[in-house]
Amino acid sequence: MAETKAFHLTREMLDHSFAGTVAPDREKLLTCIQCGTCTASCPTAFAMDYTPRQLWRLIQMGLREEALHSRTFWLCTSCYSCTVRCPRGIALTETMSALKRLALAQGIRTEPSVFRFYESFIDTIRRHGRLHELEFMALYAGRTNPLSMLGQAPLGVVMLRKGKMQLTPSEMPGKEQMETIFRKVKQLEGQA
Amino acid sequence: MRYLYFPGCTLKTTGAQYDSSAKAVMRQLGCALVELEGWNCCGATASDMISALLSVSLAARNIALAERDEGDLVTACSSCFLNLFRVQSYLKRDPQLQDKLDVVMASIGLRYSGRTRVRHLLEVIATDLGSRAITEHVVRPLNGLKVVPYYGCMVVRPYAEFDGPDLPVSMDGLIAALGAEVVPYIAKTRCCGGALIGSKKEIALTLIGELLIQAGNADCIVTVCPMCQLNLDAYQGEAARYVRRRFDIPVLYLTQLMGLAFDLPESDLKLSQNIVSADRLLAKIDRPAVAVHA
Repeated sequence: MAETKAFHLTREMLDHSFAGTVAPDREKLLTCIQCGTCTASCPTAFAMDYTPRQLWRLIQMGLREEALHSRTFWLCTSCYSCTVRCPRGIALTETMSALKRLALAQGIRTEPSVFRFYESFIDTIRRHGRLHELEFMALYAGRTNPLSMLGQAPLGVVMLRKGKMQLTPSEMPGKEQMETIFRKVKQLEGQA
Repeated sequence: MRYLYFPGCTLKTTGAQYDSSAKAVMRQLGCALVELEGWNCCGATASDMISALLSVSLAARNIALAERDEGDLVTACSSCFLNLFRVQSYLKRDPQLQDKLDVVMASIGLRYSGRTRVRHLLEVIATDLGSRAITEHVVRPLNGLKVVPYYGCMVVRPYAEFDGPDLPVSMDGLIAALGAEVVPYIAKTRCCGGALIGSKKEIALTLIGELLIQAGNADCIVTVCPMCQLNLDAYQGEAARYVRRRFDIPVLYLTQLMGLAFDLPESDLKLSQNIVSADRLLAKIDRPAVAVHA
């Protein structure tokens, strides 16, 4: 369970507009009553630095940097337990995703392995349109710990032998459309 | 009945036995799963971290392809179901997102209208077909078999309307219809760790270990999600070492269990593609019915 962290609050640390920038629920997040149902429901809360409830409090208080540097949202598995139970009806799981996006935009990667995992997955999809496990795992290992491939090898061999993993990517008809989508999204987001 | 079928990436790789058994079981029940041509990855849990627009675009391309045809778009993967289903929810909340999505779709010559219904295979089997239809096809009742119904998260959270978000029951009825005994399981929708198995392994192994401990001495765990199946099956040995326990419990897809009761061939069910051996389970149901009842 997360330990209590003490720090001296100064006026400079507070960004009162922060809660309003955390999509999707913005002002709604301010209505959190700190009941802790989210934390009690969260399967990975035991590994977080701030529990989900504490994270919402940081955001309410405007402790922007403290919230964005937390490992909490990186450990969210998107199980939606908190979302369906929140008595205020706040879209908490999507708020966790939004915090990942905000942190990445600022170059904050408190849990680099989680970020690299998703990034490698998305890069593979962009190239092939569908997941190519081998390339995905190789990309991820290359970006984190290349030696970890050795640890993964036994399971990989079993998967190959059982016909559950392919050496070459499957051919998706119209896969060039993936690049078009990624570029268009980037262009539209740049305008925002 | 004809359904458009979105297999998703895992059912073509690590969950190949789900793809094969789902098609075979549905065929047996008089339904055709017609694979959506040109489908792409739904974005899994990764795309939403990059951008909400990217997440919606990757999913919406598939729905736009489905809209050129008739019928519901059915997927057997819970993560694909979540991603495809939530397009409408994201767009409803953020009208500007709809405008941007239209531009993205136009750039690849497609249009998303939202008229095609997105559904999980569990919902189709439980509501369109139902236990009675299932019972009619049982030729080898699974009497005496103790089965843990493990639903996982995303098939019922947060969008499913066909079942409850915490303690769902739709799969329980189907398992009972096969003749098996449904084991009460408090962790029905507790998370398996999902993608953390790749990036924060110890956390995922803790969750997997807990789910396996809760399963007790059941004969097998049954699931409808390829991520859940992979985590509980392929990482069972590692989880056992991590939580210092012994586990030897087969983790089957619902469609594999149904196929066993329908007496479908191994070429359809591909139990040999599961990591934990299902041999002991098979021996149990291979016994003649009188012996099982005794």
